[in-house]
Formats: sequence, C-alpha cells, structure tokens
Amino acid sequence: MDWLLRLWVLQPGSMATFNVDDGYLEGLCRGYRSGILKTTDYANLTQCDILDDMKLHLAQTDYGDFLANESKLTPTLIAEKCREKLINEFFHLRAHAVEPLATFLDYITYGYMIDNIVLLITGTLHERDTSELIEKCHPLGMFDAMATLSMSHNVSDLYHSVLVDTPLAPYFVNCLSEEDLDEMNIELIRNTLFKAYLEDFYHYCQTLGGTTAEVMGDLLKFEADRRSITITINSFGTELTKDDREKLYPEIGFLYPEGIARLAKAEDIEQVRGAIDYCGAYRNLFQETSFNADKSLEDAFFEYEVELNKLAFEQQFHYGIYYSYLKLKEQEIRNIVWISECVAQNMKSQINQYIPIF
Amino acid sequence: MAQQGRLNIFPTRMALTGMKSRLTAATKGHSLLKKKSDALTVRFRGILFQIVDKKEKMGEQMKEASFSLASVKFVAGDISATVLENASSATLRLTVETDNVAGVLIPNFKPYTDNSSTQELTGLAKGGQQISKSREVYLKTLMSLVELASLQTAFLTLDEVIKITNRRVNAIEHVIKPKIERTIAYIITELDEGEREEFFRLKKIQAKKKRDIKAKEAATLERATEAAAKLEQQKGTILDEDEEEEDEILF
Repeated sequence: MDWLLRLWVLQPGSMATFNVDDGYLEGLCRGYRSGILKTTDYANLTQCDILDDMKLHLAQTDYGDFLANESKLTPTLIAEKCREKLINEFFHLRAHAVEPLATFLDYITYGYMIDNIVLLITGTLHERDTSELIEKCHPLGMFDAMATLSMSHNVSDLYHSVLVDTPLAPYFVNCLSEEDLDEMNIELIRNTLFKAYLEDFYHYCQTLGGTTAEVMGDLLKFEADRRSITITINSFGTELTKDDREKLYPEIGFLYPEGIARLAKAEDIEQVRGAIDYCGAYRNLFQETSFNADKSLEDAFFEYEVELNKLAFEQQFHYGIYYSYLKLKEQEIRNIVWISECVAQNMKSQINQYIPIF
Repeated sequence: MAQQGRLNIFPTRMALTGMKSRLTAATKGHSLLKKKSDALTVRFRGILFQIVDKKEKMGEQMKEASFSLASVKFVAGDISATVLENASSATLRLTVETDNVAGVLIPNFKPYTDNSSTQELTGLAKGGQQISKSREVYLKTLMSLVELASLQTAFLTLDEVIKITNRRVNAIEHVIKPKIERTIAYIITELDEGEREEFFRLKKIQAKKKRDIKAKEAATLERATEAAAKLEQQKGTILDEDEEEEDEILF
C-alpha cells in the first residue's frame, strides 16, 4: 500500500508535489489563458470597418500596444505580430521550465520543427539558398543545427550533417531513408514524419502518467483521427494510392484499428462516413456538416478541438494545459486573421465564420 | 485647306482619258477603303463592349479569389513559403496565334498547361479542400485575365489600323480626287479653248476668203464696165467713120 501511495504521490501531476516544480508556471499559463479573447471582444472586432479600428479594440485586450509602431496595417502584419507575442509567451514558459515539463514543452515544438525541416528539404531539392529559408521558418521550430544549413547543397548532405543532429532524427531513421527524401513527394514526407511524431508524443505522455496521460491522450487521439480523416478525404482524386495513404495514418487514436482499416479502403466521402460511424463524437461532426451548408468539416473539427482544449483547463496539476493553451491561442490568431481579412476585403457577410472560444 | 493645284501635264485628249481612268480608280479605292474602315470599326466597337464587360467581371472574380485565399489562410495557415519553394517551372503557359480580320493580323493568346501540378498534395492533412478550391478560383481568374489581354491587344492593333485607313480615305476624298478633278477640268477647258480658237480662226479665214472673192468680183465687174464704156466710145467714132465703110463692118 505504501508503495502505491508513493507511486501516486510521486507521479508528475500528483497533487502533493506538483507545485514544487511547476506551480509557478501553471499559474502563469492560467493567467495567459484568461487573456484569451472573449465573445464580447470578438463582437467588437466584427463591428470594425477598417483595420485601425481593430487595432484600437485589440489595444484594450491582453494584446495591448503590440501594433503601436506600425503605420501600414495589413492582415499579414497583424498575424505576424500576434504570433510574435504568442512565441514570446511560450519561450518565457519554456525558459522557466524544469524536467519533465521541459521535455514536454520541447515535444510540443517538434511539430513546428517538422514543418521547418520540410521547407528546408524542399529548398535544397530545388537548389535554393537555404539561408533565406531560415527566415521563413516557424520560430517555435528552430533547432541548433540550422546555422550549418547553408553548407549543405544537396539532400544527402542535409541528411547526414543536419538532420541526424536534430531531435527528429529517430523519426527519420525509422521510416525514411535518404533515397526516399529525394523521390517521395514532399507532402508524403511531411505526413510520415508527423505520424511518427504523434505516436512518439503519445507514448511519452503515457510514460508521464496521471492526469497528463489522460488529458493529452484524448487530445492526441483526436489529432490522430482528424489527420487520418482529412488525409483520406483530401486524397480522393489525387495520385495518392491507398497503400501510401494507409502508411500515413497514425496508429494511436479512437479509430485505430477498425476505423483506420475501413478508411484505408474508402473511395468517397460516404464510405468515410461509414468508417467513422461507430465513433459517436465524429458521427456528430459529420452530421453537423450535412445540416449546415456553410460549415465545412474542417470548421467542425476546429470547434471540437476548441472544446477539448477548453476541457483541459478544468483539471489541475497536469501538463496538458500548456498544449491546450498553445492550441487555443493559435485558434485565436486564426480568428483574428479571418476577421481582419474580411474587414480589409469588405466581405462582412462571412465575418462570423470564426470559431468562438470563450 | 488643300492646295488649289493640279497635276502638271500636257493637255491632250489622251491625257484626258488617262485622267478619267485615274478618277474612277480613285473612286473605287475610296469606296473599298471605306468599307474596310466600317468593318473594322464595327469589330472595334464589339471588342470595346466585351472589354468593359470583362473588366467588371474581373473585379468580382479577383474579390472572390482573394476571399478564397483568406479561407485557406484560416484553415491551413500561411502556405506561401511551401508553395513558393515547391514551384519549379511554370505549369500554365501561353501561345500566340494571329487571327486575320479584314486584312488585319490580330494576336490571340491561348493558354495551355505544361505539366500537371506536382503540388496537388499541398495541404493533405489540413485545408486541402480549401486549397484546391482556391486553386480553381485563381485559375479561372487567370484565364479571364488572358482573355482580357487578348482583347486589349486586339483593341490597340485595330485602333492603329483604323486610324491609318481613315487617313487614307480622307486623303483620297479631300486631296487626290479634287486634284484629279481639277486637272480634268483644266484639260477640258484647255481643249475647249483650243477648239474655240480653231473655230474662230476658221471663221476668220472664211470671212477673209469671202471678202477676197467679193473684192475680186468687184474688180472684175469694174473692169468689165470700163471695157464696155470704152467699147461704146469706140463704137461711136467708128460709126461716124464707117458710114462710107458700111460694108467693112458687116461681119
């Protein structure tokens, strides 16, 4: 019994010891979370007629004067500045984190690292100057070896000198060889890497145990299923074969293994619907899209994701809140960009198609 | 105003016929050019209306295209870096054909796709549908742009040609034909004058001849009367003498 108690107490996320290492950061994260824009803020933003009005309204939220020095406002600029703020917050959290939270936060960044690496591989394949590409990379996904990138001029160099030093090396080793990098379509590479990453992240969360494993498990399973469904639907009518497609489905997720097997054989959207039918949540999502013509499946997925992420904050003493916070802020940035594009292009009729969060 | 000159030629009848044939040729040329100008103007107006129509539609299409790009940004984030890096060579290209309209060569742009896009898997895991919809909308807009470009080059070319043709029509109508007509008038007047001169000369000669004849007749008559008078005189004297020489006079 004693060892049971100790096990329970010493797990990360156990109530007794959590605040020792991670209490300050949890407080900080919840503070950031309360600064996420509410429906009243969105109501104000949608009433704006020009981008300067939006700047005024945003100044009253947590964003403050982040647009103060900008003369010419464009939606792209607003997106960039919002993202900059989010990245600063994340790096602040990361800087103060200790193990195991530090590793957890690093795992979150691997997703962006994959996107950056895919961009670099593409650039190298087309013989572009890789140092220019570094500016276009996502800041959350930077890794140390990027400085040596200008030295590699073909994919082989890139693989041997740069990629093996990144934390993503295991994903490459397990499923992608050097020849694959040259031949495979770049999107297939991206999705293969992401599948390996999701599975790895999931297993890591399971080792952390406790509430973290539970909360992150749900979130990552949903992400895996969502990717499987989206890949299936988007691959209809393209050159992607069913076998190749099957290799991209992550093996975590509520749909594994029966749903995945059926998805692999699906040829149109009705068969997809049939494949996911046994999963109540996804069935509801599909039904929502069939009732509402304006809502696409992507919108339904975004909404469900927001719900799941909100739920993460209901529990305490776990790491899921950091992941959820990042995802919710990203959704907020997407919403702000959508509203600013509608305002800039004078398409007020569609302006309410953002996903409300709180 | 046009010069009040005429062509410098020697006024003969052959020149007159030459000038007359030139006049008919100029008239024919004038009517042909006028027909060409009218045909081109009709085509020009048609193109003008089409251009106005297309430009209005273009505004709408660009708006739609920008909006579809906004929805792509919403779902898939900023994919511009990925798309740019993946681009290798142009998939949509143009060939230029020339159409012949009433003798005018007008260029026409025809688009064709070079190779199928290797980027059709972009957004496979996120936003693929929005991306393909956006691609379609932009492709449609691009096709409209190509048509608009064809129409505008046709417009400019036709404009040039119509100006040139109208200049020629006006030149024939206001410069060449009047000149030829004046030349013809001049020749005719010269010929008429010559005829009149001839006629006058003839008349004068006739009159002189008449006078000459009259004078001759008068002279003859006078001589005759003189001779007769002389004879009478002689006869008188002879009669006196000849009362004894009656016998001698009987012949």
